[in-house]
Amino acid sequence: MIYVDKLRKEFKKTIKDPGLKGSIKSLFKPKSEKVVAVSDISFEVPEGEILGFIGPNGAGKSTVIKMLTGILTPTSGTCTINGKNPTENRKSYVKEIGVVFGQRTQLWWDLPLRETYGVLKEIYEVPEDSYKKRMAFLNEVLELDSFITSPVRTLSLGQRMRADIAASLLHSPKVLFLDEPTIGLDVVVKDNIRKAIEYINRQEKTTVILTTHDLADIELLANRIVMIDKGSNVFDGTIGELKTKYGQIRELCFETDSPNAAQALGYEKHFGFGEDELSLEAEGKTVKVRFNSSVVPVSDMLSYTLDKINVSDISVKDADIEEIIRRLYKQGVE
Amino acid sequence: MKKIKRMFKIHRIFMAQEFKRMMEYKGDFIVGIIGFLLIQLSNLLFLWIIFSQIPNLMGWSMNEVIFIYGFSLIPKGIDHFFFDNLWAIGHFIVRKGDFDKYLTRPVNTLFHVLVEKIQIDAFGEMLTGIALVCVTAPSLGASLSVFRILIMLAIIPFITLIYTGIKTITASIAFWTKRSGSIIYVFYMFNDFAKYPATIYNRFVQNIITYIIPFALTSYYPALFILKGENPLFNLGMPVLASFVLMGAGIIVWHKGTRAYESAGS
Repeated sequence: MIYVDKLRKEFKKTIKDPGLKGSIKSLFKPKSEKVVAVSDISFEVPEGEILGFIGPNGAGKSTVIKMLTGILTPTSGTCTINGKNPTENRKSYVKEIGVVFGQRTQLWWDLPLRETYGVLKEIYEVPEDSYKKRMAFLNEVLELDSFITSPVRTLSLGQRMRADIAASLLHSPKVLFLDEPTIGLDVVVKDNIRKAIEYINRQEKTTVILTTHDLADIELLANRIVMIDKGSNVFDGTIGELKTKYGQIRELCFETDSPNAAQALGYEKHFGFGEDELSLEAEGKTVKVRFNSSVVPVSDMLSYTLDKINVSDISVKDADIEEIIRRLYKQGVE
Repeated sequence: MKKIKRMFKIHRIFMAQEFKRMMEYKGDFIVGIIGFLLIQLSNLLFLWIIFSQIPNLMGWSMNEVIFIYGFSLIPKGIDHFFFDNLWAIGHFIVRKGDFDKYLTRPVNTLFHVLVEKIQIDAFGEMLTGIALVCVTAPSLGASLSVFRILIMLAIIPFITLIYTGIKTITASIAFWTKRSGSIIYVFYMFNDFAKYPATIYNRFVQNIITYIIPFALTSYYPALFILKGENPLFNLGMPVLASFVLMGAGIIVWHKGTRAYESAGS
C-alpha cells in the first residue's frame, strides 16, 4: 500500500556569522552547507493500518510526511502510495489522500465552516448525493453540528481541529496523514478525536499515518510505530516489540520508615548493575527504584529488598511506553 | 473541454467565496468602496491638470496621450483585480510554508493561487482606464473604426497575460529565495513607463521596455495601430507573442519552483 524506499531529503542552509556584520558579509559572500533532514528512510505500511510516526523535535517527521504528501520533492529515494508517486502524479494522487497539519488550517478563516466544505466538495469533485451522505457521517463522528454555521475564526482549537479532520476526510481518502492532530487539545477533545480516527479506520479501512508527541495517541491508536531520530530509522515494530526490545525497565516502588536505609541498600554492589541500569529516587517515605529486569529478575530484587529493610505497601510497575521513549530520545541526543 | 469547464467552475466558486468574505465585514467593505471612489476622483483631477498643461508630446496630441494612458490601465486593472494573489506568494505564502495547502489539493497550483483571491481596489484602475478611453475616443473619432475598436478589445486579454506572466516569473523566484516581494515590485513598477508614448524615452529605455520587460507592448504599440493604423504585424503581433512567451515562461519557472519549494518547519 505505502512503500517508502531509501527516502532522503537534503536542504541547503546558508551560514551567517552572528549580528548585522555577519548578515552583510553573507550578502556578498554567501556560504552554504548541506543539511540532511532525512537520510535513507525505508518502511512499508499495509492497507488499513494505523502507523504511529514518532521522534523528538527536529527528527525529520514532518519532512517525511511532507514528502509522502507530495509537498516536498525527495532528494533521492522513492515513495509509492496506492501505486502512485506523490510528486509525479500529484493531482490524481492527492485525490486519494487526506492531510491535516495540526499547526495549520485549510479552512476559510473568515467564513462560516459550512462554506469550506462546499468549496472542497467542488475541488475534489464529490458528487452531490455522496457529499450529503458524507457530511451526515462526518457530523455524526466529529460532532460538527453545533458550530458548522459559525465563522471559522470563532472556533475553539478543539472545534477547529475536528473541522480540519472532517475537511480532510470529505473526499473519502484511502490514506489519511495526520501531523500532530492532538497538539494543544484538552483531554476530552483528544479522546473524541482518537475515537473518531479509530472509528473511521475501522469503518472504511483507511490507512492512517500519524505523528504525535502524545504517546497516549500511539498507545491507543497505533498498530505499529516507526521511530526516527536525526533523520534515520531507529525502530520499526509494534508497541509490544518496542517494550520487549527496550522495555526491560521495571519500577519497584515501596514505602519504608527508614529512607536512608534504602539509600544504603547497595543494589549496585550486590547485583552489579551497570550505569544506566539502575536509578533510585527517594521522596519522603516513598522510594522508587528503576532497574533493568534483564540484568536482575524482579523476584530477586523483591526478596533482596524485603530481606534488608522494613517495607510497607510495595508494588512493581511495568515499563510504560513514555519511559522507554524518553530513554531512547535521550540516547539519540547523546 | 471538461478540464476548461472545471477551471471555470472552480474560478466561479473562489470568486463567490471572496465576495462572501467581503460581505462578512460589511463596515470595512463600505468604507473601502468610499475610499477608493475618492482616490479615483482625485486621480482623475490630477491627470486632467497635468495633461491640460501639455498640449502635445513628441507629436502626440493630448487626447492621444490620455488615450494611451487610459488604455494601459485596463489590462493592468484586470490583472490586478483577478491575479493579485501572486504578490502574497512573493511576500509570505512561500516563506511561511502556507504553500503546503495548494500542493495537497487536486488543482493546478498556479491556477489555484491565481484565482483564489480578488483585489477589489483594482476596480478603480479599470474604471479610470475605461473612462479615459471613452472620454478621449470621440475626439479621435476619425481614426477609430469599429474594426479597430474590436481589435482593441480582442488584444486586452493578451496584454493582461503580459502582466500576469511577468508577475508569475518574479513571484516564482520566492520558491528559491523564500521571498521575492521586492523583485516583483521592481519589475512591476516598470509599467510606469507604459503610460506614455515610448518615443519620449531614449533608445536604451525604449529597447528595454520593448524587448526585455516589455511593458511598452501593453499600450504604446497597440495604440500605434489602433490610433494610426501603423504596422499591425509588429504592433499587434508582438504583444500577442510576448504574452505567450512570458506566460509560458512563467508556467515553466513556477513548476520548477514548486519542486524546489522547501516548506517551513512545524
